[in-house]
Amino acid sequence: MLTLSNVKKGFGAHEIIKGISFQVEKGESFGLLGPNGAGKSTLISMICGLLPYGAGEILINGKLVGRHLKETKQIIGVVPQDIALYPTMSALDNLIFWGRMYGLSGNTAKTRAKEVLEEVGLTERAKGRIETFSGGMKRRINIGAALMHEPQLLIMDEPTVGIDPQSRNHILETVKTLNEQGMTVIYTSHYMEEVEYLCKRIAIIDDGKLIVSGTQRDLSNRLAGGRVLKLTVDSLRPSFIEQLKQLNGVEKVIVQPAEEIDVHLQSEMEIVSDVILLASRSGIAIHNMQLKEANLETLFLQLTGRSLRE
Amino acid sequence: MKSLLIAVKDAKTHLKDRKAILMMILMPILLTVILGSALKGMMGGGRMPETILGVYTPEGNAMTASIVQTLGDDALVITVEQAKSEKQLMEWIEDREVHIGLLLPDGWGIDAKERAVILPVSGQETGAAIIRQLIETYAQMSHAITNSTISIMTEAAVLSSKDRTAIQSELAASLEKVVNEQRNYVNEPPEEESVSSMQYYAAAMAAMFLLFNAMAGGKSFHQERRSETLSRLLMTPTTVHSVLAGKFIGTILFAWIQFLIFMVATRFLLNVDWGSSIMQILFITFFYIFSVAGLAMVVAAFTSNEKMADVVGTMGVQVLALLGGSMLPLSLFPEIMRKMAMATPNSWALTSFTSIMTGTPWSTLWLPAMVLFGIGVTSIFISSLRLRRRIA
Repeated sequence: MLTLSNVKKGFGAHEIIKGISFQVEKGESFGLLGPNGAGKSTLISMICGLLPYGAGEILINGKLVGRHLKETKQIIGVVPQDIALYPTMSALDNLIFWGRMYGLSGNTAKTRAKEVLEEVGLTERAKGRIETFSGGMKRRINIGAALMHEPQLLIMDEPTVGIDPQSRNHILETVKTLNEQGMTVIYTSHYMEEVEYLCKRIAIIDDGKLIVSGTQRDLSNRLAGGRVLKLTVDSLRPSFIEQLKQLNGVEKVIVQPAEEIDVHLQSEMEIVSDVILLASRSGIAIHNMQLKEANLETLFLQLTGRSLRE
Repeated sequence: MKSLLIAVKDAKTHLKDRKAILMMILMPILLTVILGSALKGMMGGGRMPETILGVYTPEGNAMTASIVQTLGDDALVITVEQAKSEKQLMEWIEDREVHIGLLLPDGWGIDAKERAVILPVSGQETGAAIIRQLIETYAQMSHAITNSTISIMTEAAVLSSKDRTAIQSELAASLEKVVNEQRNYVNEPPEEESVSSMQYYAAAMAAMFLLFNAMAGGKSFHQERRSETLSRLLMTPTTVHSVLAGKFIGTILFAWIQFLIFMVATRFLLNVDWGSSIMQILFITFFYIFSVAGLAMVVAAFTSNEKMADVVGTMGVQVLALLGGSMLPLSLFPEIMRKMAMATPNSWALTSFTSIMTGTPWSTLWLPAMVLFGIGVTSIFISSLRLRRRIA
């Protein structure tokens, strides 16, 4: 369905996307994870044909984006990060307008808009102006506008930013259902739990580079033991960090701001008592200690030394 | 087709914006009423302004009765109201029921010491000066006629065999004949129909407020950019050309709705006569709106955000409105300013509208139409080069 081969993009001398390659199969649900500014939105803009790419190639259903813009745009439905709707127009009128921009006839657009309103659970607010809607309702119509022409590939750029849990759950359920019905979905977010819930395959990008990609199982295996011991200490000293790194079973130690330490563990080894003993000998007080199970967030932390929400 | 859909969407969005409705449709009607009424005296063929003169004469004599009758003559556009007392006259002046008060003492015109008093209300000084001149001219003429009549009668009585009464009747008949003889010493200027103040300001406000579409069109483009709907539009299989054409047609569509509402409202609410040829009005409006939509694209292309478009647009419209005669009649401008006004599209539209209102042949409308078309085409050419680069 979608193939990216060594795609690059720069603005002047600054390279934003540094040679990204991955493939998304038809009917797949693919997650694109990365912190703010990682290059996710730029990548999506290039896939949609909004931004030209500097090097490499992007193919949608075998057609080169850029050369067959009209055809490739017709295949894709995009849910932008912002609420890209007309606030003084009703939900129904907005959906009809966007449907018509994808080439639907007047009657088809009207019928389809009613179906989409049903899908996003806003039939009773069809005639309400968008400006009167809550954040969650706006997000649902924002998604609905991308579904009007029944796209083969749905690209969602952080579709749940700043909304209430109820709307968030509704959106996640809608996307899951669409994917189960056969729609290919690319879902970008920096909420790893959303990506974990929706996507079978995941790519993590940071600073314009693809760090890792694979199924959730592949990525979990990369974590090995994968647990992280989070410590909050007082009077942190470099010698303590060095001694921590020497402990048997510790893979990596990352010092976070506010005297927090993430100790990445190699296996299921129990080293909590060793850490407490070492702190006691070094005269360091431990205020808080938390053992976290392996997940995408810890993998991202392990690979980049940064949190996804940074 | 997609351009039309974008245009209809733009016009609909604009019509749902209460601020835009107030600014673009109600404001010009309101300003036409205010300016048309306020400057009524200044326009309408250059006649003396209509004046209500309150007069009080305590006893009255032949002279006072005669001057009051003369001032009330139809040709002078003065309505004379006779007060019953000096107090009543003063009350009229205080309540501004009359524009000018005139106190004529008993012996006025007979005794040189008895002088008339003219009391203008504030703002009617010009009318008061005209009335003073009329009264003085009348008194001098009467005085001259009386003196010469007395001299002639005395001389004739000495020389003639006729008695004094017979001479007096002969002279009176002769004078009456002269007075009743209608003689014109000055030719009336050739009849040239002019527009009323209400007609002028209806045309002026139409020209000015249609110009505001240039600002609104430019802003609408930036609004779409800010709200990311422009990006979303470009992610659909819609070309940049279609989007630009849609924005252009959208401005044209709203301007037409605005103009037609304004024209109907001024015709039926304010009784403004737009002339005998509606086709001529629509013809000039077509080219004017085309040029304004072109200017909207220029505002969109050469400003970076809504705020800048707002500032540049508002300033531009005000300068063009002032220079193009939408605020003050072009006839009051010095020659150099009138030449400068020819560079503004609204002045071409305004002068064409007023010409149509007083009746003009089609041949005189081709030049303004072509100038407006030229402004539109040039604006579209310049702006589309820049906008295409900015969007793509």
